Amino acid sequence: MAKEMFLAGCSAAAHGAKLSRVEVISSYPIRPYTGIMMELSKLVANGELDAEFVHGEGEHAQVSIAYGASAAGARAYTGSSGVGVTYAMECYSPAAGGRLPCQMAIADRALDPPGDFGSEHTDVMSARDQGWIMGWAETPQEVLDNTIMYFRIGEDPGVMLPQFCCQDGYFVSHIPGKVVYPEQSQVDEYLPPFKNPHPLDPTKPVSHGPQIYPDQGPAIDLQRAQAFIDVPKVIRKAVKEYNEIFGRDYSPFLDEYRTDDADFVFFLQGGHARTARYAVNHLRDKGVKAGMVKLRFLRPFPTEEIAETLSKFKAVGTVETSTSYGGAMKGGNLIHEVRAALYDVPKPPAVTSFMAGLGGEVVTLDEFYNMAKVLAQAAKTGKVDQYVYWVNFDKGV
Amino acid sequence: MAKAVETQNLEAVKSIRRVPQEEYYLPGHRTCQGCGPALTYKLVSKAAGPDSIFLGPTGCMYVANTSYLCSPWAYPWMHTQITNAGAVASGIEAAYQVLIRKGKYKGKLPNIVVMGGDGGSIDIGLQAMSGLMYRGHDVLFIMYDNESYANTGIQTSPATPYGANTTFTPPGEAIPEGKVLFPKDAPQLVIGGHPAVHYVATASVAYPVDLINKVRKALNYKGPSFLHIHSPCPKGWMFDAAKTVEVAKLAIETGMWVNYEWEKGEYTYQHTPKEYKPVKEYMKTQQRFAHLTDAHIAKMQAFIDARLKAPGIPVALPVLGPREE
Repeated sequence: MAKEMFLAGCSAAAHGAKLSRVEVISSYPIRPYTGIMMELSKLVANGELDAEFVHGEGEHAQVSIAYGASAAGARAYTGSSGVGVTYAMECYSPAAGGRLPCQMAIADRALDPPGDFGSEHTDVMSARDQGWIMGWAETPQEVLDNTIMYFRIGEDPGVMLPQFCCQDGYFVSHIPGKVVYPEQSQVDEYLPPFKNPHPLDPTKPVSHGPQIYPDQGPAIDLQRAQAFIDVPKVIRKAVKEYNEIFGRDYSPFLDEYRTDDADFVFFLQGGHARTARYAVNHLRDKGVKAGMVKLRFLRPFPTEEIAETLSKFKAVGTVETSTSYGGAMKGGNLIHEVRAALYDVPKPPAVTSFMAGLGGEVVTLDEFYNMAKVLAQAAKTGKVDQYVYWVNFDKGV
Repeated sequence: MAKAVETQNLEAVKSIRRVPQEEYYLPGHRTCQGCGPALTYKLVSKAAGPDSIFLGPTGCMYVANTSYLCSPWAYPWMHTQITNAGAVASGIEAAYQVLIRKGKYKGKLPNIVVMGGDGGSIDIGLQAMSGLMYRGHDVLFIMYDNESYANTGIQTSPATPYGANTTFTPPGEAIPEGKVLFPKDAPQLVIGGHPAVHYVATASVAYPVDLINKVRKALNYKGPSFLHIHSPCPKGWMFDAAKTVEVAKLAIETGMWVNYEWEKGEYTYQHTPKEYKPVKEYMKTQQRFAHLTDAHIAKMQAFIDARLKAPGIPVALPVLGPREE
């Protein structure tokens, strides 16, 4: 019987990495993700995990060390938060383009200025177009499970892509929760050792990353896009087998909560889903037909699933927790992708967005109730008055 | 933490006739005629041999060697960003340590060699190079020095000499000497602050046996080592492509370049002339210095004279800096 532990998200990520038998770890301190590396450094120092623990001189080096290790054939793990994530930006494309499936844990943090420790998804959302698989966890349990699942998905021979394994800073990374801790033997059964098909090995010389000329570019870009088209079926299989072996009930892409007869849903990713569940319960107690849909993977974005699921409702409100200044909807990013996915649906729901949880602000129950009022009205009229509501600033929220 | 893994042991060669016949850096690349860095690459490849992994941060030796997804290397090679060769090399070395320890890789630790240009070594690549040296990874970092950002069209770098005409330091009425700064001391950046490093040396394409043996000595050291290799660039320095070795030799004869080894704190010097020729002899071979006045050349001579009192050991600038004049 698997044991139960009480772990915060950072520790859960570290133990997910340990159970995945990571071989090279690269660290650099920045809050709040630091806890992951503090835990892993103890596990290495105690001899509980046989890995090379490399102190990078910055996040740019951290990611470079990780993808270099992956190129040599080792399972590599790193992580960061906030401006650390954006400092490493140059290195994301070489890792993805080199098809080097290292994993980077993200515990989100707002970017500067002004200096702010709080969680906000803008840090790694800025890297969403770099070719990495990415998604958010809601609880420490999901953090640990995702860490293991992401290695399995990223290292699949048909995928070979790096992964951002994300959790909200503090809300998930620093608040302990119950974690059912898998047996090592179960993880070993689920996650085979990493095998790079073309490692940097003197007995089989290969060149990684020679230059191309523009006429070769489109074909290579197409291959990378094609890999992403194939990822969803790998995710479905990986999640299904994970559920079977470890007794979980994750859905691959969209986690629905009390949506059966819902008029409207909150659509979001990450830790604020915890609060959203309570808000939905309280709204239901008052007879309001509210529900929640949580996104588990931002990349690959589950377009068909979104179209099918969200078209069941009259109104959808994306809770953004990230910014896209000057974007099409003048607020966050989720709404862009949601509206695009719903464009060809015969009777699409009314879709608006809420700027909430920025700079690490808690999204309170009262705020969810106010959002619910906007969404109930949209469900009734079938249209939205605004594409974006700045919660606590705009009228009505 | 890490148990010792078996590493390479490469023998010194006694003469040019004993240099391995095998080529591991093969024809078919697009370097310029008379390319000093390409000659460096050929010699370093012969020295390291096939049980090696080479890393190429962005620079001439990436851009001119790889095109249309082709590459001229008979050993595994990987491109790195110009910024991060030291870090990628660290990751590869760490991976081999753990893979060998766990029995997943059966051979000895391969030679891991970074071939960085001056920008990728001591300018934009300095942080990652220093990180590697500090952490003690078993990697040889080579700075093939062609004294400019050559692949982008000859722009000044921290290795470009005072007075050079580059496309970012063109001489003009207001700035007659072109480049006004004196170069960074590359080996000193490594020697000066990295306790894990035991071997740093300079070499020149004009002395191939010395170059090869320094590469081998560096590779035989467990832990990080650094080689600074003078690699003249006919295009960037503007001299006849047939005279690469001649120019390199003249650099040593005038004191513009000094071949030395720093081994566990001790300096030894190679190819020291009995008497140094004036730097003007060297400078007049290259059009990049053609605009300089006698006063500028005197300034260069003063700098070189001061440096030659203790070659390899940094000296305070003996001439006025740009904010002092």
